[in-house]
Amino acid sequence: MTCDRRQFLSSMGTATLAMAVGAAGCARTLRGDVAPKSGPRVVVIGGGWGGATAAKYVRLADPSIEVILLEPNREFVSCPFSNLVLSGQRTIEQLTLGYDGLRRHGVKLMHETATAVEPDTRRVRIGEGYLAYDRLIVAPGVEFQWEQVEGLAAAQDRVLHAWKAGPQTVALARQLQAMPDGGVFVLTVPPAAYRCPPGPYERACQVAWYLKTQKPRAKLIVLDANQNIVSKAALFRAAWQAYPNLEYRASNKVVKVDPSTRQVSTEFGDNVKYDVVNVIPPQRAGTIAVQADLVGADKRWCEVDHVTYESVKQKNVHVIGDATIGLPVPKSGNVANNMGKAAASAVSNLIAGKQPPAMALGNTCYSFVNDREAIAVVNAYRIENGKVVQIEQKLTPGASADVARNAVGWASSIWRDILG
Amino acid sequence: MLVIPALSMPAPAGAGPLDAPGYAKAFTCSACHGPAGQSPSDAMPIIAGIAPGYFKKAIEDYASGRRVSAEMEPYAKMVRELGVEDVAGYFAAQPRRPTEVKADLAAVARGKAAAQQCGGCHGADGAGDAAKLVPDLRGQPPGYLRSQMLLFKAEKRSPGDEPLKAMKVIMRTIPDETLTDLAAYYSTLK
Repeated sequence: MTCDRRQFLSSMGTATLAMAVGAAGCARTLRGDVAPKSGPRVVVIGGGWGGATAAKYVRLADPSIEVILLEPNREFVSCPFSNLVLSGQRTIEQLTLGYDGLRRHGVKLMHETATAVEPDTRRVRIGEGYLAYDRLIVAPGVEFQWEQVEGLAAAQDRVLHAWKAGPQTVALARQLQAMPDGGVFVLTVPPAAYRCPPGPYERACQVAWYLKTQKPRAKLIVLDANQNIVSKAALFRAAWQAYPNLEYRASNKVVKVDPSTRQVSTEFGDNVKYDVVNVIPPQRAGTIAVQADLVGADKRWCEVDHVTYESVKQKNVHVIGDATIGLPVPKSGNVANNMGKAAASAVSNLIAGKQPPAMALGNTCYSFVNDREAIAVVNAYRIENGKVVQIEQKLTPGASADVARNAVGWASSIWRDILG
Repeated sequence: MLVIPALSMPAPAGAGPLDAPGYAKAFTCSACHGPAGQSPSDAMPIIAGIAPGYFKKAIEDYASGRRVSAEMEPYAKMVRELGVEDVAGYFAAQPRRPTEVKADLAAVARGKAAAQQCGGCHGADGAGDAAKLVPDLRGQPPGYLRSQMLLFKAEKRSPGDEPLKAMKVIMRTIPDETLTDLAAYYSTLK
């Protein structure tokens, strides 16, 4: 099925753009200005924790601003809690949410991939067409640096990352379930910075818990490129006392994977045999951020103004979430949500010719250490002379079911804040 | 250095939800307490419509560690820095709806019978007394109410706090199952 530009434009007018474009796939035939601008417009690239929040909150800030959200996926799948899919404590369906809430706020969804940004003409390219914007919010998340691990690019169908929640999460859970008792599961942790600092160690807990209860003779080996556990180190080490089946090796950066011999190799030349391997690849900002020249000298992450989230390299382009240089804030969903709100306030104020408010971020981050207990780290920040400075970091004293209940409460609140 | 514009001014007519005074200082709270403080979960309290005096005491107690919470302590210090009056004012002005969490009807009936001993301070309708910093219990999530009663009973919330002593004495006479019933009852009040 195809549709022409006139049909597409009329669908824009009735705010059913997402359905028209999505169902017919007609954006592929679009050329030129696919939706001429009739008033102030914000385009958001990426409908994850940061981008979806930003799209909603620009509409809340000023309903006279048109918001178009470009997100290739039809549904939102939460990365937080997805490690629990590996242990069978959650299903992927329980973590899958729709975008209808955003549509009710008047956000126009296009299930398309932005292919380029033209800051000089304020255009985003999609397919052979483009969208004009007044301000652009780029929230592309992370992209994997496949080339950093020899053999990984060619083995993507067998060597899974499961680091973007979705089909890979389900597939890795199946590999784990199918692994023989007595087998070895190897989990590799990339060098910081990467999405979700405690995520690999929560995953280690969930895999170890599953093996302990379902395959008592099997073993988990964690090969960490970092010198120590990157986040909540003491709490994870305490939790791992319950998992004699978990072997943790720090400073073991994996540089090669070979599915034909079922082994990974570290930079020091150690070879480790596996029955199932989960390589979490090294990461950088999403591809569009690199193509749009938003990344800094490290070629990986984007530098931004910490009040407006405007790129230090491109005017009228704001970057939020995991793609930004995180320090001192972590690459977490909670931080991305906070940045989405701050960027939305900044963008709406700037469009109205007003001074944006300084909005200090917070981070609340839970990790499940087994089927019923969790730990947390919490950070509060201030904005000082335009920079983000930590006020305090606090950790829960240990793992508990109470913290796990709070984790569930956090998820329901923040999912509604993003998408409701 | 950027200046936060006119937060103490009343929102102009036709202003949206983000123009509410204090929003830019309170926005981070919704990650746990729900949009505009309307928590959808059983664990976190609804802070929409909360009495400013009680809110300020809670922030002080969390910041000082008198209420022990790894989650709340950093945020309480942040709120104190940003200006607790502004954040308290923001949440006090937000419309409040009863919790979405459904309570067990048999527990609600038992809780109603057991609630007489609470009415002396919290009122027959559970609305509390803002002037005396007695909180409004109506429509709070049952899981949150139960967890706080258990903390009082075990002297783990605001230990030694003089005005709370009488309540803690009563709590220690109430079995945990009855606390669950009381939580269910108050969660259903509007």
